[in-house]
Amino acid sequence: MKEVVCMSGVELLMEYMEGALAPEVRAAIEAHVAGCPRCDAFMASYLETPRIVREATRMEMPADLEASLLAALRAWREQDEKRR
Amino acid sequence: MTVRAAESSDEDLAARAAGGEVSAFEALVVRYQHRVFRLACRLTSETDAPDVVQDTFLQVYRHVSTFRGEAQFSTWLYRIATNAALMHRRARARRPSLSLDEFLPRFDADGQLEDTPDALRVACRVDELLDRQVLATKTLAAIDGLPNLYREAFVLRDLEELPTDEVAQVLGVEPATVRQRVHRARLMVREYLGELAGGRL
Repeated sequence: MKEVVCMSGVELLMEYMEGALAPEVRAAIEAHVAGCPRCDAFMASYLETPRIVREATRMEMPADLEASLLAALRAWREQDEKRR
Repeated sequence: MTVRAAESSDEDLAARAAGGEVSAFEALVVRYQHRVFRLACRLTSETDAPDVVQDTFLQVYRHVSTFRGEAQFSTWLYRIATNAALMHRRARARRPSLSLDEFLPRFDADGQLEDTPDALRVACRVDELLDRQVLATKTLAAIDGLPNLYREAFVLRDLEELPTDEVAQVLGVEPATVRQRVHRARLMVREYLGELAGGRL
């Protein structure tokens, strides 16, 4: 295959991470990253991105929402029973 | 004899809810409400999330008798919740305050990354460099600023941590399409976090 440069390697990163690439493409990416500090840094931040966003957006459900959901459920049931 | 709800599988609870057993439906609500709320915050906003959660469970209540157990219950529920969130975004008709379209890595004419390794790596440290609340607000705005198709795939795969195959079922696309959408989203969000950490935003 053609030699991997940063741009072609970056485009294949997700498939690389998920093991969806042919062995020779995988090896070519690893060879490029081993000799490229930019890609090494890029890959590290690409891998960290989900964790950072996940932790930053782990919102807690308001305590009263469960009670209002269960109350809504009762109201839906009552409507259904009236219709019968 | 009643089987204790906490020990029952989702599919079993769904079957009992479909048969009119209220406690089984309540058990599903209690089991999934936090996950649906978090998903709704990420796909819409913290303000819209309670309505999205309520719409989701109303849809589940109305249609649980059509759930056939061909997919996992959670896949079916995520599909309903994702659609409910999308309906809310459409109804709201508010433009996101930020568009992430332009946040992509930059390459020179030889296809080499332009930024230095340090500049590329700084995104990893954004959670050490920024105040927790500021980061929460900025990351929610960044997710909001993603194109719809990318947002859904990114949130389900990278934030809710569903396997790619399950995301594909939720969205009704091929796994390769999921990988491509998550990848585009992650490139944009990574770039945004880098700019944020580098003090350029």
